[in-house]
Amino acid sequence: MPRNDAAMLETLILHHRIERFYYDEAALLDDRRYEEWLALFAEDIHYVMPLRTNRVRREWKLEYSAPQESAYFDEDHASLDMRVRKFASGTNWAEEPPSRTRHLIGNVRVDAGEGDEIAVRSAFIIYRNRLERQTEVFAGERQDVLRAEGDSFRIARRRILLDQATLLTSSLSFFF
Amino acid sequence: MTGFDAAMAREKATRIFDRDAGTIEASAYVDPDIYRLELENIFRRTWLFLAHETQIRAPGDFLATYMGEDPVVVVRQKDGGVKAFLNQCRHRGMRLCRSDAGKASNFTCVYHGWVYGLGGELVGVPLEEPAYGTVDRAAWSARPVPRIARYKGLIFGCWDENVPDFTDYLGDAAFYLDILLDRSPAGTEAIGGIHKWVIPCNWKFAAEQFASDSYHALFAHLSAAAVTMPDGSYSADWGGEGFQFTSDRGHGTGFLLDAGRREMLTAFVGPEVARYAMEEGMGSAIERLGAMRGQRMHAQHMTVFPNFSFLPSVNTVRVWHPKGPNEIEVWAWNLVEADASDAVKEAYRVGGLRSFSASGIFEQEDGENWVEIQRCLQGPVARDTVFHVGMGLGRPDAADPDLPGRLGWVFSEVAARGFYTQWQRLLADPDAPVIPSADHGEANHAAQ
Repeated sequence: MPRNDAAMLETLILHHRIERFYYDEAALLDDRRYEEWLALFAEDIHYVMPLRTNRVRREWKLEYSAPQESAYFDEDHASLDMRVRKFASGTNWAEEPPSRTRHLIGNVRVDAGEGDEIAVRSAFIIYRNRLERQTEVFAGERQDVLRAEGDSFRIARRRILLDQATLLTSSLSFFF
Repeated sequence: MTGFDAAMAREKATRIFDRDAGTIEASAYVDPDIYRLELENIFRRTWLFLAHETQIRAPGDFLATYMGEDPVVVVRQKDGGVKAFLNQCRHRGMRLCRSDAGKASNFTCVYHGWVYGLGGELVGVPLEEPAYGTVDRAAWSARPVPRIARYKGLIFGCWDENVPDFTDYLGDAAFYLDILLDRSPAGTEAIGGIHKWVIPCNWKFAAEQFASDSYHALFAHLSAAAVTMPDGSYSADWGGEGFQFTSDRGHGTGFLLDAGRREMLTAFVGPEVARYAMEEGMGSAIERLGAMRGQRMHAQHMTVFPNFSFLPSVNTVRVWHPKGPNEIEVWAWNLVEADASDAVKEAYRVGGLRSFSASGIFEQEDGENWVEIQRCLQGPVARDTVFHVGMGLGRPDAADPDLPGRLGWVFSEVAARGFYTQWQRLLADPDAPVIPSADHGEANHAAQ
């Protein structure tokens, strides 16, 4: 934390703005406003969720799949747009009728910034309930790069670290 | 809770599938006695997929996986060979290897410290001399998978040491499997990482669909078609010509010919993969496999009985691991020609995971369907309802001089009936050979 009051205030305000941004983003997902959610992403977004495996200590560096390996998500803007349009197709049976989700974002840590980009780590808990009684809970970390734009931000990179090795769901037909 | 009556379960299996009527009773997918019989009579006796060679490249590289519900470790040996053994310490049964994958010099049980070598042989027992005198190393080694087959980059195992050789087990299905494995002289390699996810459904829904069901794609995957196909839907010009293959060993595949190949491949895995498959990769494919397999067949889905499935050219490969009658774990990964460019490999990697995986825009609906089917099977009325597996029943066989084996039209369930015929035959008789001695195919081609 900076020692002088003015700098500290600036840090607090930035932190507050980022948290507010995440709450608004979560609300767009939970309210199923996917086109507006997609608008929060930069054109050069890289949205990725690596695979995760059980490894012994000496192989911890292999716990997450490497960039040249597969991933649960590895998306650019066009593929995210495709996923969003799938929701609107009217035949998106995996989400028709739709899931009820609640995205809780916390433990926000604003790391070093470079130019107009800010690295932010946060924790999520996503509750998902669908159809009669299907219920799933997902926890993990998001490592974002936010790009300042006007009064708000665009998400330029998102790396999602899910706290599961075997996915406890029949499909990832929703967003993190 | 009643005890397991194998004879009654065998009788049930004989009764609930009627090949000639094209019906199967829903209890096939939920009955615990049927499931128990499947583990014994099918998963203990047939060839099961273990790993791709490139998933365990160097000596000591291992992969922990399952054969049916039995955990096994598959290990690259120092001499380049492959061994597999039950992932269970012989002392008190603790799981020996608790990593999904890695490199090991041995496997040490974390309970009492018994040590096993790369082949599962017992090599060390703490306090052996004072506590035991001696422990017979051969008698107390991990239980080996007695038969291992290596076929064009894939490794299979079987618990039955008397099982026929893997190529005989495949029979004519090898012709169709080779489209996945043999397009290039360099062979294939696995893209790193295995997708694992849980679907609360019976394993046969998945295995049967990949054997026999082009039909569902027209409706189940409409939303994926809407965002990937040129006109937002399948074209009426695609799909008129195509075949389904059925095997008396339970294997099955279906595919289209010619029209729509580039468009559908582009929709499934993107334009770069389509370009590769139809341009630089096609020459060697035609040379090695002929024009029918190298150029004309597409949108192919296939199951090697019982639970190994894949989509050639999309190159997604998976096992449906049974976890009780009501649940599976899907273990899916992708492969690519080893001599493809880095750009093509990257296109396969990204295209594959975006379309066919837990998050895949084509795959999401499969889980949804199978889960909801399973949820409907909890009541006695739903369970003794019979389902329709009669598509194409009584129609003459299809034929093509370039295609071996028993064929039907692509929109048919002849391969599903072949799958369940083998399923029923193995369930009904624990001693039945996995390759039937006579033609057990349905009798619809000559008389009708």
